Amino acid sequence: MTTPKLQALVDAQKIYNDYTLRDDNINWWCGGCGNYPIQNALKRALSLEGLGRRDVMFCFDVGCSGNGSDKIEANTIHGLHGRVLPLAAGFKIANHKMQVIAEAGDGATFSEGIAHLAHAVRNDYPVLFILHDNQNYALTTGQPSALTPKCQSMNCAPEGLEIEPFHPLEVVLGLKPSFVAQTCSADIDHMTETIQKGLAHKGFAFINVLQACPTYNKFITHEWYLEHIQRLPEEHDPTDMESARKYAFSSDPFYLGQIYHNPERQNFLETVAHRDENSARLIDEVAHQDISRLLAKF
Amino acid sequence: MERLKIRVVGHSGYGGLLSTGSIIAKALEHLGFYVVADREYPSLIKGGTSCFTINASRESINSLSARPDILVAIDKPCLLKYFKTLNDGGTLVHGYERLSGITEILEEAVKRDINVAHLNGREITHEAGGSERMKNVVLIGMLWKVLGLPYETIADQIKDQFASKPNIIPPNLKCAKLGYERTETFKTIELPKNKPKTAFMDGNYALALGAIHAGVRAYYAYPMSPSTHLLTHMANHAKEFGYVVKQAEDEITVANLALGSMHAGTRALCATSGGGFDLMTETVSLSGTIETPFVCCLFQRPGPATGLPTWTAQGDLNLAMHGGHGEFARMVIAASDPTDHFELIQHALNFAEEFQMPVILLSDKVSAEQYVSVPPLQQNTIPIKRGLVAKQDLEKLKNTDRFEVTESGLSKRWLPGETEAYYFANGDEHDSEGILDEEETAGDMYAKRIRKLDFAANSVPEPKIYGENKNADISFVGWGSTKGPLLDAINDAKANGLRVNYLHYSFVSPLKTDTLNQFFADNKNVHLAEGNYTGQLGNLIEQQTQNRFKGRMLKWNGRPFFTEDLDKYIKENK
Repeated sequence: MTTPKLQALVDAQKIYNDYTLRDDNINWWCGGCGNYPIQNALKRALSLEGLGRRDVMFCFDVGCSGNGSDKIEANTIHGLHGRVLPLAAGFKIANHKMQVIAEAGDGATFSEGIAHLAHAVRNDYPVLFILHDNQNYALTTGQPSALTPKCQSMNCAPEGLEIEPFHPLEVVLGLKPSFVAQTCSADIDHMTETIQKGLAHKGFAFINVLQACPTYNKFITHEWYLEHIQRLPEEHDPTDMESARKYAFSSDPFYLGQIYHNPERQNFLETVAHRDENSARLIDEVAHQDISRLLAKF
Repeated sequence: MERLKIRVVGHSGYGGLLSTGSIIAKALEHLGFYVVADREYPSLIKGGTSCFTINASRESINSLSARPDILVAIDKPCLLKYFKTLNDGGTLVHGYERLSGITEILEEAVKRDINVAHLNGREITHEAGGSERMKNVVLIGMLWKVLGLPYETIADQIKDQFASKPNIIPPNLKCAKLGYERTETFKTIELPKNKPKTAFMDGNYALALGAIHAGVRAYYAYPMSPSTHLLTHMANHAKEFGYVVKQAEDEITVANLALGSMHAGTRALCATSGGGFDLMTETVSLSGTIETPFVCCLFQRPGPATGLPTWTAQGDLNLAMHGGHGEFARMVIAASDPTDHFELIQHALNFAEEFQMPVILLSDKVSAEQYVSVPPLQQNTIPIKRGLVAKQDLEKLKNTDRFEVTESGLSKRWLPGETEAYYFANGDEHDSEGILDEEETAGDMYAKRIRKLDFAANSVPEPKIYGENKNADISFVGWGSTKGPLLDAINDAKANGLRVNYLHYSFVSPLKTDTLNQFFADNKNVHLAEGNYTGQLGNLIEQQTQNRFKGRMLKWNGRPFFTEDLDKYIKENK
């Protein structure tokens, strides 16, 4: 007889396998790329939460991260560069019973997509957002992004740019978010538990994944990260913005964990007062509406 | 056709121009006239010169005359600007007190045989115990007496207009009454009899009604004239019907929200004008590639750039047909009157879902904002067609059914999460389940998507002919808002013994040509009518068929075609 705990693991394994049906041994990312462990952690987190293929919609931006859009066996949509957040939000608004996950790189998110990011935070769309933060435009062969360190030599910027980069957590914390976490592609276990926390959050969950890009960011490898990351100390209270800022802005070490959390915040669906968030989905409501009352005015 | 032609002029946002025009137009409608009314206004909130033009007739009318027979002037700057538009022999109604300041106008009125009805509006508002802001209502009373119409009919409309502010009704009525009593009747007009019931509404509102009725459950927009009223209407009715309205941060967001909601499987709608649509085009292209339905209403105004933000145009047909990179199937539909807006949005949603492609519904400032008396809108006349796999067949689906390369180009669509089968909606070129496909066969999927348009074209109606089918003295071909002026031209010409007919495209792309070819064969003097400089539909027709237009009636100054434009063009080209 299997114990409930064992059964849960068996179930989780089945879900994990569902997401991984095809393994054709073809590499679609560089060796040592952080995208492999991120996808692995994502599948693990979903499996442990019991969220199977029919429960999740994956929305991908364009870039190296977006190339994962057909590498996970599930319902996915692979949209436009920088625009994944409104696409994901639109899906969630129409079918709030599915878990909606959006993934994008730092190039897309902090340049073409920065308005979408700002307003996704402001609206608190119930979407889990995984930022693949490898600090460059990788799929276009290594140009500087808005997160590339100042003066770092890159493709198209041989001397580096003397422009201050954005700090992703500083930007997001300034927007009054409901959930901010940081994790690292060098630590699958930590990514898994962070994504699980994000899945449990009811609003916009922003997860910054410090990601290795061995081809274009030779200075930040998984080995380098392992020496520069540290879990948030026990005493950090995620509901304390001041403490959140202190740990978020540290770069030696980078702190991993749930940096900020505001569980009180109303998500977008809750702000639509005339709808009951727990009831029908918009997708079930497409039918002729009786407009007699409006026509009677004429 | 006999028309009562009234123009009310005044500053935008001051003096009650909008309420004055609205009261007069609705009162005439209630008296049984067919009414057309439209407002011309600048892109500012308060100030500027603005006018509200009302035409009324005992027979159905669908467009406006450029020049009024009666000018009602609320303030002096607008009187000075619009006096020249008043027809000779017409009537000026004004309440300006310092007549010495408008001596030139008054002298010209005598020369042009124009009657002047004048009272000191400000004094009358004091006498009535009202505020000076009620000068416009004095003018309404005066106008009603000038026309010899019964006072009660305008009093009822004034009460209706101010129903939400009952304390200002008595002084307003008093203002109207004093204006009425102290004015002479210059002309009596025959009252209409037995007009069938009509609805007096604008295209924007009719479109909102159509969208709500057709089950639109999410509406996304960013404000931009002349699409903004649709956002207003959709927002005002959201609570009652329970759908979601979101004003987003830009049009790119709007398009992606709509596409995401459509992909999940509800009916979502968005609307914008030309500049906003420019921003949406990458998403239109994505919709074409992933074969997720998408519907956008494109309300035209003159461009390029900011252009004339509050005026009208038909300059974005090419944009609707070609905006977006790459080649893919799409449909373009164009609305004219309110009935059209109500019905075509329902067809647009059906086509988008049945044929899994973007559909652009064109309208323009005049079509969207002009009030017209139309037959009452009918519910449940257009069934909802979603093109989804039936519930009982969901379990049989394979992943590869989603984008299967079929002869018609159409493959099965179902909603993510509704069954075990799943698919990758991939903006990259892909195979039948959506996996990236860069092999030589990638072109098969490309062709499948475009082939779908030929299949869809079988369901698209042919253009419609108004007037006699054959042997007209002069014929026109057009789309969208040109319909109203052309319908009126057909009737007006009949009175002059001239035969005019008109072929109207509601469904512009894919272009149906059978009826068109027959129309050219049966009529020898066919002209194009379009509100743009280059003749975009005309070029399309001459590119896709052997037919050639004898002439092109084009207009691009922000104004619609007026009855005078048609009279002149027909006289010169018949």
